[in-house]
Amino acid sequence: MGFFDDKQDWLEIVFRNYPPENRRAAVMPLLRKVQQEEGYVSEERIREIAELIGTTPTQVRGVMSFYSYYQAVPTGKYHLQVCATLSCKLAGAEELWDALRAELGIGPGEVTPDGLFSIQKVECLGACHVGPVVQVNDEPYVECVTKERLKALLEGLRAGKRLEEIELPGPCGHHVREEEA
Amino acid sequence: MVRLRINDREIEVPEGTSVLDAVFHAGYDVPYFCSERYLSPVGACRMCLVKVGTPRKGPDGEWIKDEDGRPKIFWFPKLMAACTTRVSEGMVVDTLADEVKKAQAGMVEFTLENHPLDCPVCDKGGACELQDRAYEYGLFEKYYTETQNGLKSVLYTRYAFTRRHADKHHKLSEFIVLDRERCIHCKRCVRYFEEIPGEEVLDFIERGVHTFIGSEEWPLPTGFSGNITDICPVGALLDLTARFRARNWEFERTPTFDLTDAAMSAIWVDSRSGKIERIRAREHPELNEIWISDAARFGHGWTKEGRLSRPLLRKDGKLVEASFEEAAAFLAERLAAVKPEAVGLYLAADGTMEEGYAFAEAARVLGTPHYGFENATRFPVSTLPAASFIDLLASEFALVVGDPAEEMPVLYLRLQEFLKGITPAPRYFHGTPIADLRLEEYMPRRPERLATFAAYPTRLFAFAGVSGVYAPGSVAALFQALLAAMNGKRLPEVPGVPEEAVREAAGRFLEAEARTIVVGADVLEDPEAAELAGEIARAKGAHVIAMPPAANARGLELAGLYPEKGAGFGEAGAKAVVYAGATPPAEALKGASLKVFALPQLDALAQAEADLVLPTKTYYEKRGLVLNAEGRLLELRPAPTAPPEAMDGIEALAFVLEALGRRVPARSVLEARTRLHERLKVPLELPEEGTLFRPRVRLPARRSGEAGGTLYLRPTMWRARMLRDERVRRALGETPLFVHPETARAEGLSEGMRVEVVTPYGQAPAVVALDGRIAPGFFQLPGYGRGTGRRVGFRILVPSGGAA
Repeated sequence: MGFFDDKQDWLEIVFRNYPPENRRAAVMPLLRKVQQEEGYVSEERIREIAELIGTTPTQVRGVMSFYSYYQAVPTGKYHLQVCATLSCKLAGAEELWDALRAELGIGPGEVTPDGLFSIQKVECLGACHVGPVVQVNDEPYVECVTKERLKALLEGLRAGKRLEEIELPGPCGHHVREEEA
Repeated sequence: MVRLRINDREIEVPEGTSVLDAVFHAGYDVPYFCSERYLSPVGACRMCLVKVGTPRKGPDGEWIKDEDGRPKIFWFPKLMAACTTRVSEGMVVDTLADEVKKAQAGMVEFTLENHPLDCPVCDKGGACELQDRAYEYGLFEKYYTETQNGLKSVLYTRYAFTRRHADKHHKLSEFIVLDRERCIHCKRCVRYFEEIPGEEVLDFIERGVHTFIGSEEWPLPTGFSGNITDICPVGALLDLTARFRARNWEFERTPTFDLTDAAMSAIWVDSRSGKIERIRAREHPELNEIWISDAARFGHGWTKEGRLSRPLLRKDGKLVEASFEEAAAFLAERLAAVKPEAVGLYLAADGTMEEGYAFAEAARVLGTPHYGFENATRFPVSTLPAASFIDLLASEFALVVGDPAEEMPVLYLRLQEFLKGITPAPRYFHGTPIADLRLEEYMPRRPERLATFAAYPTRLFAFAGVSGVYAPGSVAALFQALLAAMNGKRLPEVPGVPEEAVREAAGRFLEAEARTIVVGADVLEDPEAAELAGEIARAKGAHVIAMPPAANARGLELAGLYPEKGAGFGEAGAKAVVYAGATPPAEALKGASLKVFALPQLDALAQAEADLVLPTKTYYEKRGLVLNAEGRLLELRPAPTAPPEAMDGIEALAFVLEALGRRVPARSVLEARTRLHERLKVPLELPEEGTLFRPRVRLPARRSGEAGGTLYLRPTMWRARMLRDERVRRALGETPLFVHPETARAEGLSEGMRVEVVTPYGQAPAVVALDGRIAPGFFQLPGYGRGTGRRVGFRILVPSGGAA
């Protein structure tokens, strides 16, 4: 069964946003829907989307691969995206990445056996002042991720807490320096 | 017109011109990688950065003046990409400024940063745009590094680091290989597929430094894929039929025309050591632009193998090599027993007009009614007035009956332009605009401009507002219905096509101001349908583009080789036959006591039946005139690849006539052309691009050879002789035998079943492919250029045991 078979009403609303001869423009909302609900976009879904918007799977793949948000392989319940661009790197993103890999025992593209976690390095998330930064799924960033804060984060997630419920130890943000001073 | 200044030169160009074209028009050069003629400019490579300034108007509507009282030039704050910047009145462009040179050198450096330095083993080496531009605009000679032994070695960039590595041998199809390391991401191939044939099968995958060209489709669809090997500015996309065959400077380059189909695209034949190694597209703005079909490009492999260089004579049932003297003696002896009026003279579809003249004239001298050319249609195509592709672009509506993608591939590409409403570009000093700003990516194709009908769903159906599949043989009924709908009469029934489709097509046809009717082999094989098409065109006013299955049909008909009463090509009747350039179905040789073939190489029929085989040239190796479907007279130029003893059709015919002791109408191409000049006012000298030549011809349609079988032979761009090449066979895969599911059930056939199909052209394996969209009761088989559009009798043999 196709992913969009029971979402005809939703599709209609999306397609209404674009001129009929440019239905291909709907590739993004469709990809996003699949990514959000299935955690990744499989070959089969790519073909399905291509069919729906009247283009080729190649084009859908081209759009999808441009964005690091869309995953081509299955992800865990919590997909941890570690910013690895310059500011975060200087703030210790590499060490964080190593710690994360060691802690979870997985590499990029893999999922922990319990199905909870997958990890990925991403380019700049735009929160350089609070690096290193980790983003969990679509949620707001987890900032200043030290080893302690990472540990608390993973424990919280394992315990089934929502992200905003998890207490992270230690200060964070541009006010830190002022307090120290 | 817009006036602007390029460096020190004042020029005038049409409005909408890009700065890039203005620079070239002024006689200056600017480097570029991503722009390409006939493709949309995108500004991807940033190589064409130039300094641009314009005058500006003040609040009072007057030009702001400088201290000398002249309009003050306001320079853009940064360098502009010349390909995507439009010219404006009073613009000033500086391509020689130091900052421009620095920017260009910087771009070359960036581009070379990750480009492998494997030019010595790269097929593009010597013909590579990147190589040329690196020499012209790069600064690489400035960077040296000292090796251990104190020698200086050149560095191509200032920074030594590990280059990006990627897939170097990524096969995209049997014909094309992609080297992802060499790719400089100009996006030409991606844009080509979307814009020209309308198949979005290539795209950038990933982004940034990880970007590569990729496809979810494997293999790339054949048809028009080869053109990307021409337009690739580097050696990333290469023609596998030619890979590693020669360095670019070793090729003999012959500009000639392709005779695979009646469009006759302009091509370069690249040969080396007497063998054709590569075919490339040659620009002809009015004809094929810079595109050719895959069949024209990749289908040359057959010219290499088993070429005959001496006559073959049948002795004791076997064909053995003989001298020309022996062959002449043999002919003289055997022809003496045959009446001259029982001799049949037949020419291949790709024969030249000179050969056509010689054959027709020889038939007249002998007094024989038996002559003709391969794939002559039952309705002579010359009777329909010719129209050019430019006429199509000027139309508002096109009615297409047939399959242009297979019958005349270049026309299919022109139809894509027509659907987008693109008209011919203005010409500049340097020719075609390199960055035509009228072209964009993803231009909508307007389906309301096109109605198409065919015996099966063609590629064009996806783009047409109205389409319909008729049953083979009912194309006359279709035209009757169209005419009736146009005249507001009651519509006769057309098997397979709903009445609304006919009405809508007729309605849109009448609404449009300018119209073109495109007819294929189906129509030309049905005199009634062709008459009706001509009548509609005359009565309602429309251009007609006919796609004859014989490449040089117009030329050969004009030369007088269209058969009237006697047995034509492939029809039995003559007692002694001469077939030049092609062999007929075996049935046609019934009753013939002497069979002479003039062929470049042996085929199964010649092997079994020929009494004498003379070695001949292929059309790549001939000199002569040809007339394409548009009525455009073109001149073939010979590539130096024919075996020394190989004859052209005129020489082979002269050889036969001399054995008969008869007057020879022409001994050389020049002599035949002089005769053609005297009779038909065919010009003796032709410009490179050819000339329109459309004398009025009226020939009677042939009523003979009425086809009655249930096997419909589909048009294909590929020709049977091309299948000699194993690579072509692999690319095309197994031959499908299309059949409606109901008919299949009645015949006991199922999807994927392997069968042998016996047609007049021989026995060949095929795989049953069910298709509910085609008419029941008929079978359809790719014709590979033989019997195109005809219905023939056949038998299906199901091998016992095994997969069947």
